Amino acid sequence: MRRASWLPLLLGFLLGAAGGVYYAWVVDPVEYVDTAPASLREDFREDYLALIASAYAGTGDLQRARARLALIPEANPAEKLGALAQQRLARGRPQAEVQALAALAAALGERPTPLASTATPLVGASSTPPAGRPASPFPTRTATPTRTPLPTRAPTATPGAPFALLSKEALCEADLREPLIQVEVFDAAGQPVPGVEVLVLWDAGQDHFFTGLKSDVRPGYGDFAMAEGVVYAVQVAHGGEQATGLQATPCEDEEGRSALNSWYVRFLQPALETSPTTPTPEAPATPKP
Amino acid sequence: MSPSLRRLLIGVLLGLTAGLIYGWLLRPVRYVDTAPDSLRADYRTDYVLMVAEAYRGDGDLDLAQVRLAALGPLAGESYVAEALEYAVANDFSRTDLDTLNHLAVALRALPAPAEIGGP
Repeated sequence: MRRASWLPLLLGFLLGAAGGVYYAWVVDPVEYVDTAPASLREDFREDYLALIASAYAGTGDLQRARARLALIPEANPAEKLGALAQQRLARGRPQAEVQALAALAAALGERPTPLASTATPLVGASSTPPAGRPASPFPTRTATPTRTPLPTRAPTATPGAPFALLSKEALCEADLREPLIQVEVFDAAGQPVPGVEVLVLWDAGQDHFFTGLKSDVRPGYGDFAMAEGVVYAVQVAHGGEQATGLQATPCEDEEGRSALNSWYVRFLQPALETSPTTPTPEAPATPKP
Repeated sequence: MSPSLRRLLIGVLLGLTAGLIYGWLLRPVRYVDTAPDSLRADYRTDYVLMVAEAYRGDGDLDLAQVRLAALGPLAGESYVAEALEYAVANDFSRTDLDTLNHLAVALRALPAPAEIGGP
């Protein structure tokens, strides 16, 4: 074939390709419809996670929360939720949202099995449901006798009863990178409570943190890094007894290693009515954050 | 038809075919960085249900409205009505319907926004 005979073919090809691109970009551009939560932009995805946590706080339905979380691929959802709670706390987001994130992180953290393998899809749960079938993975259909398990809601503190200081103990742990105020909060039944706001006060200011954000430690646990030479006090937010005089001072552990001492403080929410059978939480081993 | 024109048309067809193969098979569209307003109907309904469940827990109607606003420019009530319609059509449980309805009632009870008008 002569060189000139290729020219119309090449020209046609270019015209066709240009026409295709024009059609795809201008005449009928891509519209994002029928997308799944997994494709959400990072900020929307974080909002979605917060919404899952808030819905869980409203219903206490952990199975449903797990099914929803399974739609958003995360290697470690509990860790992600904990980190998100801390970010949102720092950004001044509503406390209810932060507490919900912490509570869900704690509820998931109690079960170390990876989420993907434990998530029990509800009716029709699938990220790509079969065509023609309404995909509604979450709500339980009335027609199907799939009994929703009893709520496995993470325990929350009973409103109204101020927390009492149960114990305050200095610890010398050379393994810690920095001295910590380690706080553990229990409800009247002696169960650890995630999502409780704890205030840390010192001469020049104050800060706060929530229990249950560290999925690898017990759900009622939270900690705060101390600076040397500062005297701190801690209390559960919204009233309650204070643990005062917490200061990081030089100490030696059992093996003779030098360190700055940490503090381990436990708060207990007393029962509203005096009961001789109110359980006292067992003294746990020193947390290793 | 002249040979040149025939070759031109063949080229156009080849170009279109190549474009489609590229766009549909080699590099098909992947949805990334989307917003909640593009969610499929079932996910969208579940989104509204989550908002309603959260509202049931915290009672924060302002926050519920902010969350519903992520679904588009309409009033939040419209999205709840849409979700209720889908939920009824798909046999959602009584509890879920009640939860959605609870939010719908709360939104309907809100005073209508003041109109910006003339003097």
